[in-house]
This record gives sequence, C-alpha cells and structure tokens, in this order.
Amino acid sequence: MFKNKKLLVLLSMVLVFALFAVGCSQPADDTATPGTDDTNEPADEVTVKEELIVGQGADAVTLDPHSTNDQPSSRVSKQIYETLVAQNENMEIEPSLAESWESIDDTTVEFKLKQGVKFHNGEELKASDVKFTILRALDSSHIGHIVGQIDGEKIEVIDDYTIRLSTKEPFAPLLAHLAHTAMAIMNEKAVTEGGEDYGQNPVGTGPFKFNNWVIGDSIELVKFDEYHGEPAKLKKVTFRNIAENTTRTIELETGGIDIAYDIPPTDVSRVEENSDLVLQRAPSFSTSYIGFNAQKKPYDDVRVRQAINYAIDMASIIEAVYQGVGAPAKGPLGPNVFAGHQGLEEYGFNVEKAKELMADAGYADGFDTTIWTNENQQRMDIAEIVQNQLKAININTEVKVMEWGAYLEGTAAGEHDMFILGWVTVTGDPDYGLYALFHSSQFGTGGNRTFWSNDRVDELLDAARVETDPSKREEYYLEAQEIIRDEAPWVFTWIGENLAGVQKNVKGFTQHPAGHHSLHGVYFE
Amino acid sequence: MSNVKTASQNPQSQVASNGTKKKRGPWREVWRRMKKNKAAMVGLLIILILILSAIFADVIAPYGYDEQSLVDRLQTPNSKHLLGTDNFGRDIFSRIIYGSRISLQVGFIAVGIAAILGGTLGAIAGYYGGKLDNVIMRCIDILLAIPGILLAIAIVATLGPGLRNVMIAVGIGSIPSYARIVRASVLSLRDQEFIEAARAVGANDFRIITKHIIPNSMAPIIVQATLGVANAILSAAGLSFLGLGIQPPTPEWGAMLSNARHYLRDYPHIATFPGLAIMITIFGLNLLGDGLRDALDPRLKS
Repeated sequence: MFKNKKLLVLLSMVLVFALFAVGCSQPADDTATPGTDDTNEPADEVTVKEELIVGQGADAVTLDPHSTNDQPSSRVSKQIYETLVAQNENMEIEPSLAESWESIDDTTVEFKLKQGVKFHNGEELKASDVKFTILRALDSSHIGHIVGQIDGEKIEVIDDYTIRLSTKEPFAPLLAHLAHTAMAIMNEKAVTEGGEDYGQNPVGTGPFKFNNWVIGDSIELVKFDEYHGEPAKLKKVTFRNIAENTTRTIELETGGIDIAYDIPPTDVSRVEENSDLVLQRAPSFSTSYIGFNAQKKPYDDVRVRQAINYAIDMASIIEAVYQGVGAPAKGPLGPNVFAGHQGLEEYGFNVEKAKELMADAGYADGFDTTIWTNENQQRMDIAEIVQNQLKAININTEVKVMEWGAYLEGTAAGEHDMFILGWVTVTGDPDYGLYALFHSSQFGTGGNRTFWSNDRVDELLDAARVETDPSKREEYYLEAQEIIRDEAPWVFTWIGENLAGVQKNVKGFTQHPAGHHSLHGVYFE
Repeated sequence: MSNVKTASQNPQSQVASNGTKKKRGPWREVWRRMKKNKAAMVGLLIILILILSAIFADVIAPYGYDEQSLVDRLQTPNSKHLLGTDNFGRDIFSRIIYGSRISLQVGFIAVGIAAILGGTLGAIAGYYGGKLDNVIMRCIDILLAIPGILLAIAIVATLGPGLRNVMIAVGIGSIPSYARIVRASVLSLRDQEFIEAARAVGANDFRIITKHIIPNSMAPIIVQATLGVANAILSAAGLSFLGLGIQPPTPEWGAMLSNARHYLRDYPHIATFPGLAIMITIFGLNLLGDGLRDALDPRLKS
C-alpha cells in the first residue's frame, strides 16, 4: 500500500514536471521561429532575394571587438564595424574611416577622418571616438597585443576629424595592425551606455547594423540606411551557428543557407559536383603546426625535436587528412605572407635518421609523451596518425583531446608536451606571424606556446619590427625562419585554404585571406 | 516487484545450501528451463561468440587495431579487408574484434562496481532498516533523480576521459538500481525463519548477510546484471561517441561510430559495422537477460 502511494506521488510529480517542461518549451519555440522563418518565407514573394543566410561552425562569443579575438565573432563584427584603414583581399591598405594619413615622423602618423560618418545609433564619428576606442583596446587582455605598440598617452586629437597616433618606437606594420578587425572603431556613447551588455548590443559604422541575437543559434543583421559609403545590396544578413561540418554542407545542399563557411575536406567534391552550388577556394593566412614544449624534457633537446620531424611523414598525413585542401607547410609562414620563406630545406620522412638522432640524444628506447589537440576533426586525425608513426622511434604517445578554453589555458601554462595548433597571420605581415609565436617575450598567452627562444631570433624579430626598409626586413625574417627550421620548435604542418560553399545565385562574395569575409558587396541574381 | 517472485524460492535454496551435493540443484533447474527458451539461447550464443572473440582477438583479427596504412584508407569491404578500412586505412573488422574486449571489459567491470557498491548499500539498508535505511535510500533517490547518462557525463568530465574513468562513471551511474533490488530482496528475507534460525545459532550480522541473505537474493541481481551489462556497453559507447570516453587509437565501438560520422554520406560502411556490433551485442544481452528472468522465476516452473 505504502509503496503504491509513493509510486503515485512519484508519477504525479513526473506528470507535473512533464507539463511544466512542455509549457516552458512553448514560448521558447515561439521566439525562436520568427527569427528564422522571417528570413525564409517573405523571400519567396520578392523576385530578387535580399536576405542572405550564412552558416558557420560556431556562434560569436561577443560582438564587442575588445572582448575576444576569435574568428566566428570577427566574421560577424566585420559587417557591423569599420576600421581606420582596411586591407582588401590582396592585403593592400585602403582608406576606410580615415580618408587619408601621413607620417609626421618615424613614430607618428596623422589620420584625417571621413566627415559625415554616422554610427548606427545616429551619433557622428569624431576623432574622440577613435581615441576612446584605442585607449579601450590597450586595456584589453584579448587584443591588447595588437595595439600594444601605440603609446596611449601620446594620442593627440587635433580637431574633430584629425587625430595623431604615436608608437613607442618605429613600428613598420602599424597600418596593417589598425586594419585588424579587433581595431574596429566604436562609439564612446554607445559603449558607455551599453555597459556590460555592449557585446550583445554593438554599435558600429558598417553597412549592416545589429538587429537580433538568439544565443547559440543565430545573429541577425539588417541594412544600415545611413551608411556613409555605397549602401549594402542586401536587406538582411543572418549568421547561423551550425557546428557539425556535415550538417552545414547538407543545409547548403538543401538550400537552408546561402553561404557555408569552412567546407570540410570530406565534402569538397560533393559541393563541387553539385550544379546548384559553387565552391569558392581562396588563399588563407592560416597555418597549422605541431609544437614541442621546449622547456620540458625531452623536448629541450634539439635532437629530439629534429628526430620527430624526421619520423613524421607529413606529406602523406596532409594528403590523407586534408585530401587536397590547402598545402603542406614549408615554413612558419605561408607563401602569401610577405617574406614567407618557401625554400627551407625539408626534413623529409627518414626513420633511420630519426632513430640515430634519438640514440644520440640518449633516447634510443624512446619515452612516453602526450600530444594535445582541440576538438578539430582534422587536428585529431593528424594526432592519431602522428601517434602511430612515432611508435617507429619508440615514442609512446597519448592523444589528449581538449576543450578549446582548457586547451588554450593549459598550453599557455606550459603543462603540455606536444600540441597541434594553428595561427592566422591576420595582418599578412610577418611580424604578426612570427613575433608572437617565436619571440621570448611572448611565452604563454602571448602566443609562444612552445616556450622556445633563441637570442638571434629575438634580435632579428626586434630589428625587423622597427626597420622601415622592406628589403632589410625581408632579410631579417628570412634568417629568422632558417633558424626556426634548424632548431625545430615546430613540425611545419599545413597551410590553410578558405573554402566556402555558395549558392549559384549569390554574387559578389569574395573571401578574405584572414578569414573575415565582407558581405558588403554580396547580392542575389 | 521481482522480489516477490524470488521470496518463495528461498526456503528451498536455503535447504540446498546446507549440502554441497544438492547445491547445484536449482541452477541445473534454471538451465533446464532456459534451454527451452530459444531466444535466450540465441542471446547466449551471441554472448559466447563475443567473449571468445575478445579472448582470441589476437588470433582472429587479421591486422592490428592501430595498424594504419594511409594508402589503403576508406576502402569498401573486399577480400583483403573483410569490412573495409577507415579513414586511416585501419582494418575495420580487426578493430571491431579488438573492440569487443573493450566493450566487455567496460560492461562487466562497470556492472561489477555497480553491483558490489549498490548491493552492499542495499543490503545494509534493507537489513538494518530504520534511520540508516532512510539515509541510504534517500541518497540513492538523489542519485536516481539524475539521469544515468548525465551523471556519467558529469563524472567523466570531472575525472577526465579514459577507459578506467568511463567504467567508474558508468558503474556509479547504475548503483541505484542494484541498491533498490537488493534492499527489496533483503527486506523480504530478513524475517524469514531460516534467518531467525541463523541468528539463534549465534551468527553475526556480517555472516547472515553474506552467507544467507545475499546468496538468496542472487536471482534478481543476475537478471539485472545481465541487462546492466548491455546498458553499460551502451553508455560507454555513448560517452565515447561524445569524445568523453575511450581515447584513440583504442578501438571502442562508440568512438569508431563517432569518427565515422564525418564519412557517413560517402562511406557508410565505416559507421555501419561498429553500429551493428553494438546492436547485436545489446540484442544478445537483452535476450539472455529476459531468458534468465523467465528461467529464474519459479512460478513458471513446469
């Protein structure tokens, strides 16, 4: 009897809970559907589509450019904000919010701002906004390093449309750094009023303004009518978060989205062969590498690092994992980055040589180690093949797949042995692609997660940073790359490629090598 | 509920436990009844094949489980590779054979953990009753309130992935069902005459629980354990699918499935075979479990 009573109580509780859950899910569904339905349905009535849906692999973290430095966020921010100067697809510096600029001396540049530029909140762009933005950026732990060379105390507002920026010492790639999406100019009033929620209510000067964000699902932008340049052709842009690669391709195939970013290698031929779709391939600034924690035994021994370089058959790995997408990396920089050394001597696949080096280093019997990677399918695949190939030189490897946040934290703290990571040389300048990764001042969060340093490389990177003569800079960078190759803190792995799947009727879409593609000129046919 | 059935069987098996010769009696009876159940025999056969392939994996598998051959990757089934190869050129048949080791290990050890811990807690709660019973069972209720797989995910997330932690997580996740079953059996046994007799002879609590109560409440535990192995294998596969379980290159079936999903549209065979392996194993265990339940139920005795 008692038992049954208990059962009855339990059952009624389950029932109440079920009703409650059903009741709760209703309103949530209601708010979610209009966002997506609106973009699909009315489009059929208009002759030319004006609403674009883009699918990418992750949701933005925040739309406050100073609170993050990740690709999914900057891909959205790029449409909302603009920078003082911009870099086009060929990485040439172009005027954007600054009409013109001139060097006053070695360390100072004067910018003339375009007049009549309106923020999405109706405010006009003034030099004070630029100053406010840069000072705020300097305080950011996420992107501070991008503007770190600018001297915050010496920012001089001449008048409403003129501003002077000074660097602490001559800094050759200043303009390229100012073109970084993280250097988006923000409105002082909007940021102050927005407070902690600013990242969910961004205000920029770009061709699209922020409209709605269903966290984890989609971000909706609408055309900004008072845009200072040529108005956008699209009325609305929706970024959808479709994490699973295969699902993103299927959504593209079935017409659920118009553009899919980052088509996985396995789906390349599928998109190519589909007559309704176009696969857009474009060079990218991203590279992947396998790094060693050079402060930890046994990786403090250059012979061990070289032995592993010899023991890995990288050409076949890249072929198997990326299936013709991108290319095997020949050095730390890709061929499209200035001074990217493509003629470095390759280690090649040579197990005998690797065994010799291991024996020389006193590890003929090998050792146990771990290789870290994040949940990136291709990187996990590489790790698994490397694990297998290293058995030939008696290295017993454990693959550790980690969540992105924990991965970055752990590698910054130096807890790792080997790791697979990537880097995007956003500015297209070798300073961005080498300084953070190989300079001894950048250990840990700065970007040098191998904790490897070399006095000569430090010297060269410092010298090239302040040098203004391009041919001298090239010389310094080439020498630094030679040393990096010989000292082997990395196994050079892969040069990325931008792959976007696009519906046939989408026109005017081009990919930016840094990965944050502008949708300003996109239209439907 | 099942405790009601077993209760009536107890006096008789108690008699059996007094003489070693007669001890085999009830089990032989169970076996006789199970033999008549065709489905249960099919289940038993499947499990036997599974156990054999786990033991003799080295002999049966034509390739090593982590033997990569990048040139031969993504092959469909052929004479060289019976079930084809995966994206690293590893022989899928060999991996499934080796995978049976992992699955059985996880299944049995996780159930072992659950049965021992849960059984002990249940026995203590049922035997002593009162406040202790209340405290233990309310804790079990709390565990029960969290879905098993969610609890397992939480535990693995805390302990970190890996074979050992998966077994612990899945084991802890299924403690409540054993605790409840054992407690129910013990409750029905504790006032029986033979227990009173044992107590009268001067046996202490430990002896009474281990020698008299536990052996007599085995039947529902065995049924639960058989079905529990199936659940444990499934949970472990689920955890591995989510990347929380067994780490590469260990050929766990769930991990194989997870890895294959990227190739699902072009090379469905990579996902199909590990999926079938899981399905057949669970099917076999469930058939066996159902058969055992029927066979152990004395009311069906003919």
